Amino acid sequence: MGVFLQTLFVGLRLGSVYALIALGYTMVYGIIRLINFAHGDFIMVGGYTLIFTVPLMTAAGLPAWLAVVIAIAVCALVGVGVELVAYRPVRRKGTGMTALITAVAMSLFLENLAQAIPAIGPNPIIASQLFAPGGFRVAGVTLDFVTIYTIAVSAAVMLLLYVFTQKTRMGRAMRCVSEDKSAAVLMGISVNRTVLTTFAVGSGLSAVAALMYVAQYPKVYTTMGSLLGLKAFVAAVAGGIGLIPGAMLGGLVIGLVESFTTSYISSSLTDAVVFLILIAVLLIKPAGILGKNVGEKV
Amino acid sequence: MKKKLLAILLALSMTLALAACGGGGGEEPSGEAAGGDTIKIGLIGPVTGNNASFGNAMVEGARMTVAEINAAGGILGRQIELLEADDRGDATECMNAFNNMVAEGVQYIIGSATSGATAAITGMANEEGVVLISPSATADDITTEDDYVFRSCFKDSLQGDIAAAWVQQQGITKVGTIMCSADNYSSGLVNSFTAACEARGIEVAADESTATMDAQDFTNQFTSMVNAGVELVYAIYYYDAVGAFLVPQARAAGFDGIIMGADGFDGTLDYISEGTDYSVFNDVVYTNHYDATDSSPVVAEYVEAYQAEYGTQPLCFAALASDCLMMLQKAMEAAGTADDPAAVRDALADTSVTYEGVTGTFNLDESGTPVKGAAVIEFTYDESVGGVEGLGTQLVTTISADDLA
Repeated sequence: MGVFLQTLFVGLRLGSVYALIALGYTMVYGIIRLINFAHGDFIMVGGYTLIFTVPLMTAAGLPAWLAVVIAIAVCALVGVGVELVAYRPVRRKGTGMTALITAVAMSLFLENLAQAIPAIGPNPIIASQLFAPGGFRVAGVTLDFVTIYTIAVSAAVMLLLYVFTQKTRMGRAMRCVSEDKSAAVLMGISVNRTVLTTFAVGSGLSAVAALMYVAQYPKVYTTMGSLLGLKAFVAAVAGGIGLIPGAMLGGLVIGLVESFTTSYISSSLTDAVVFLILIAVLLIKPAGILGKNVGEKV
Repeated sequence: MKKKLLAILLALSMTLALAACGGGGGEEPSGEAAGGDTIKIGLIGPVTGNNASFGNAMVEGARMTVAEINAAGGILGRQIELLEADDRGDATECMNAFNNMVAEGVQYIIGSATSGATAAITGMANEEGVVLISPSATADDITTEDDYVFRSCFKDSLQGDIAAAWVQQQGITKVGTIMCSADNYSSGLVNSFTAACEARGIEVAADESTATMDAQDFTNQFTSMVNAGVELVYAIYYYDAVGAFLVPQARAAGFDGIIMGADGFDGTLDYISEGTDYSVFNDVVYTNHYDATDSSPVVAEYVEAYQAEYGTQPLCFAALASDCLMMLQKAMEAAGTADDPAAVRDALADTSVTYEGVTGTFNLDESGTPVKGAAVIEFTYDESVGGVEGLGTQLVTTISADDLA
């Protein structure tokens, strides 16, 4: 029972982070049909921003996690910058394929750029604890408060995103652009501005993901986003890419699969099993777990 | 599908291209002295990346020792020129660095820090006739295959045996292990520890693993340890995972026994998340090549000089790199030449020579590996000091190779 509970809690801890990252992937994909491989690296950007701004917050007597506000701004700026400098010109000239490759290139570019900045460098930095430690004890096993916060934040973000895309003017514009770009232009929607907003929101989300990740796994390094991003991408696809609730579900599923594989099958095989599950899901439901809910597509 | 394949291929080729750039860029410009008066000695280590603490310590130790040797008149009256290269702890990078150095005419190389990277260049050293001395590649097979490869550290089967001997001394009868099976160092050490435990009648009741060396969650593994009822867990990872993840998560999972590691734990105290409950680091011990707080004159003198130069306590990697240079100096002097690597190799292969280094007094065995003991060191947390400052290390005991019988 203890093992089961502990495994469940670890799964939720990992899954909640994956869910939060997957939300960013799925949001951008849903709007412009671009798999933004640089999203994982936006998390790295968020992580380093937190490293540098948390001391400012504590010096000002504010709670450490408030640094996320600055991180959101920095990540949104980086996201918008990447869109303006790389994605938009490429999208104008090329196809979805070229955009995809640009995304991979941006991912590598950001990782190497970070290494080249003297204050960051190639060596890992350990973050300080961002939330007060503690948790619930159930049957001798601890469920950290941070895990609960992360799940709560993921759920809140999911809801907000849903409301944003369904109810607000900008959200409606996003859905229009996603459905038919030229028709959207005819309706008086500025496609460029809409895409830019999508990137700002999606990248800003990665700062929130960075906060929750670093709070639980306090090591920040330049390539931290690559495997993390890949797993979250798998989560988004497994849940049904483009679907906001799908990202949340997919993230939790991947986290739980990873954790239960570690405890009950073999800890060396976790990544193999995660990717096998993805293949199995895609064979049975090519559009992902929630894939048939076309009506909910953002 | 084709699109994805192409994307992956492109990504791969870009990564490789970048990696290649890194190898070339990491090297220091060489001096003018091709075949001139100086003796060129190469140094390859992970100066950047996840094991950067190791590489930087190596570089600092080697620079200091080279300066000392040069100030004292050099080797055979010739000054040493140290060429440094960064391998980021990566096998491919290490090979690039090695090839660059050979192309520059370097015949003596010290490196690399990790077994994984060093294993990539041992065969090449033999082919090129380059004398290679690793400060800290502890995997058993590093020196067994190739005649030109030596080291200044003990090997893992000895380190694992020493750990098991200490466990036995403590009267512990039930242990568990956690390793990364894909990593030479981690799996090699755990396997030798397990074999040594079985030989000593200690039960290894649980064995767990992770997929990579930079795994982030060890909670489930330690939960299994708690359920198996083990008193000590032998977990072989590097300092960056140990301080940030492994130890705090182990305690959170309810494991309050002893966590034992190896030389990869050296440097952990610089990689601890501020605000952690520091008392979790009590009952964490590890085997190491030497103890920096040792009062013996050799160590004390070395530590003092190092602190004067760099302001920090030398990690074992600094001392081991210095010992590599000492071995090389002694061998060159015995061979009477620094221009003939084969003669220097023969001098190093002489098992009757005793080296007096910072990390101990030792002879090399047939394969070129020192036979020496290890220090068992523990982390301590002083509640009355509190904070990061309250953390420190303390020598528990030293166990020599002779104590093992």
